[in-house]
Amino acid sequence: MALQTDIGNIANIPYWTGGDTLHQVIGIIIYIIIVSIIFSIFGYMVGWLERKLIARAQYRHGPTYVGMWGLLQNLADLIKLLSKEDVIPENAFRPLFAVSLPLLLALSIFIVLLLPYSPTLQATNLGFGLLIIFTIVSFLPLLLFTAGFSSGNKFAGISAQRSILVLLSYELPVLIVVASVAMLAGGYSLDGIISSQAAHYYFGLLMPIGFVVFFIALLAEFERPPFDLREADSELIAGWLTDVSAPYYAIALFLDYARMFLGSVLVSILFLGGWLGPSFLPPLFWILLKAFIVSVFVIVVRATAFRMRVDRVLRFGWLWLIPLSLINLVMTYIVFVR
Amino acid sequence: MKAERDGLPATLSRMKSAGFDYLVKITAVDYVDHVDVIYLLRNLEPIKDEIVEVTLSTSDLWLPSVENVHKSADWYERELSEMFGIEIRGRKAPRLLLEKWDGTDPPLRKSFAWDAPYKTKGEKA
Amino acid sequence: MNITRINVGPVHPSTHGVIRLVVDLDGDTIVNVEPHIGFLHRGVEKLAETRMYMQIPPYTEKLDYVAPMSYDEAYVATVEAAMGIEPSEPAKYARTILLELQRIASHLLFLGTLCNDIGQMFTVFMWAFKDRDMVLDLLQEAAGSRMFYVNMRLGGLNQDLPPSFAEHALSLMDYMEKRVFEYEKYIEKNPIFNERMKGVGVLSRDKAKELGVTGPVLRASGLNYDVRKANPYYVYDKFHFNSKTLQDGDNYSRYKVRMLEMQESIRIVKAAVRAMPEGSAKGMPVKLRSPVPPNRISIVNRELPRGECLMYMVADPQKPYRLSIRSPNFINLAAIGSLARGARFADLFAILGSLDIIMGCVDR
Repeated sequence: MALQTDIGNIANIPYWTGGDTLHQVIGIIIYIIIVSIIFSIFGYMVGWLERKLIARAQYRHGPTYVGMWGLLQNLADLIKLLSKEDVIPENAFRPLFAVSLPLLLALSIFIVLLLPYSPTLQATNLGFGLLIIFTIVSFLPLLLFTAGFSSGNKFAGISAQRSILVLLSYELPVLIVVASVAMLAGGYSLDGIISSQAAHYYFGLLMPIGFVVFFIALLAEFERPPFDLREADSELIAGWLTDVSAPYYAIALFLDYARMFLGSVLVSILFLGGWLGPSFLPPLFWILLKAFIVSVFVIVVRATAFRMRVDRVLRFGWLWLIPLSLINLVMTYIVFVR
Repeated sequence: MKAERDGLPATLSRMKSAGFDYLVKITAVDYVDHVDVIYLLRNLEPIKDEIVEVTLSTSDLWLPSVENVHKSADWYERELSEMFGIEIRGRKAPRLLLEKWDGTDPPLRKSFAWDAPYKTKGEKA
Repeated sequence: MNITRINVGPVHPSTHGVIRLVVDLDGDTIVNVEPHIGFLHRGVEKLAETRMYMQIPPYTEKLDYVAPMSYDEAYVATVEAAMGIEPSEPAKYARTILLELQRIASHLLFLGTLCNDIGQMFTVFMWAFKDRDMVLDLLQEAAGSRMFYVNMRLGGLNQDLPPSFAEHALSLMDYMEKRVFEYEKYIEKNPIFNERMKGVGVLSRDKAKELGVTGPVLRASGLNYDVRKANPYYVYDKFHFNSKTLQDGDNYSRYKVRMLEMQESIRIVKAAVRAMPEGSAKGMPVKLRSPVPPNRISIVNRELPRGECLMYMVADPQKPYRLSIRSPNFINLAAIGSLARGARFADLFAILGSLDIIMGCVDR
């Protein structure tokens, strides 16, 4: 608790919004370092856990040799990937191909930096934090499209088309649910959303339909099974990653963990009360614990789900998720707001 | 059952209307002076098999296509023309099914030259 | 119409070996599929013409590397027919047991790869492989090898089944019964699985006959042809079992027929192990010089896990003059064009998986 408060005090808002320029810069750098460390450790552990859990579901052991319980396996893979030659295919549109993936990762990490992690550990307390975040989240499938389209591979091209289809059918429910969350909280501030949950109940309890819809739509947004159409291994080889070689592939792996982290933290902030929890442990612990549980659930879904077909995914999105999210919006308005 | 080459599609379609509507396999045996082409047909209910044999002289290797009678003959005929060098008339010249061949004798003909590792007595290497 | 032409394979995660499918797509709908085969062509039929009779089983085994013993047996049975050798009674039982075990092992692989193809990456696959490994353990006990057995000899087997075999087989079959039930319970209730399988890749009864498909693919289309029933060999006529037929002819029936067949195989193995007579199942030792075959032409058909295999052999004194193999996969694969036309691109792999192609057998 004490340590947590100290970290928070270094990086808290008054410190680097109120001080002089030097202090602001130092504050920003320290904040970025702290959040990056949290994000890296969490992402790395979830990545390792994903390999282990899925191995367990499949009567395998998963990584065992590198480090204790294979903990360093992902690091070894990363080093291997980074030390390999990067091959950009001849018929790829080079500038776009080279920029898309790094930009995707950068944007994902940017959102990670914008999220609040505890009452004191947050970058901004702007009133429209939620809007900024979902503006950028909506931009991610477009970048996937450019990444797939520019690689000049037909499989990647199909994957890029699918990425647009997913954008069309799953962006809407996410935004509608976000709108109902904002309505319930009375604003777009993430801090406000959590304090509103502290005052009443967790939003996941108040609007279970919205919670489920948001979770499913987020699975589709972030290419998790059963909606991994864009990376469908058994159909499209690796989808938009088919022609992506070593260092770029390492970025893609990073991106996977970043999106996993992002998604699970978002779910825990919007629906599970964020950092709220019994006070014997620091708030940061609670938000990470909730995010961790959400991640484990996502992994278990991956270990058991069959992949849906494109047309069915669209149908599911338009026939179920969008109506349900609208119902959720209306019910939220009628029951809680009016 | 023996059949004539020219009336082969007619024979098979007559047998098809008599119930033998399932083509099991088309295969051939090269007897050096002649090639026997064997059509294995089956009546599925009640189950009954029938063999139609066509004898071709080695110097005049062609067969009428029966693809219009049995659709499943497609791949078998392609295999036949590739492996035995039998020209299948009445269908468009197919792409080679199994192999790219360099213009020597078709592989399943006895004249196909290769170094057979085991020889029985009396057989020349 | 804007057609995209895509090359699926020869290097692709779900081509089951080396096959190249040239797929023409209109949007997400398949307009045409043209299979290119021959990447695994080894000329087995030609090789057979240069080898002594009992030198050939290792070649025929490698045709279908998922169920090698079935091909081994089909070839040896052809030679037996040519030479007029009748296997001993214990050998008949032993062969029946081993063939059915091989069928279970093969169908388990089908289950795993099918689930991979429709996007359940490796969970069901690993489960099925674990069970397949247990069946292979049993086959290893009987034949001394896990993959390529070369266990069949003229008139019997290479060695007797070990004394512990019966007990192990019965306990494994009890376990397999439970497992098959579990697979059905877990997989068939999955809505996505049903959505991907039911009504996809429909092969009607007439079409199936016309395209000449065999085995489970034929039986899924409502045509009840099973060599074990139609032309019983060994002791298949002594046990009661059903050759299951389904009417729909879609992916789901092709999957379900194999699951039902696995259950029937378990029953056959159990019954055959219990009824196994005393005596030696050993066949003739392998000699380079074998007896002169009295029958010039012999035709033998067998129900392999993937369908009917028919061997047409013209016999010479020491080696076959011509060995022609009717491969079930060859003709099943030829049906992919008409099955996949009009389906979605993702369905192509579900259909390919449900046909259960082994490329070694297609190319020969």
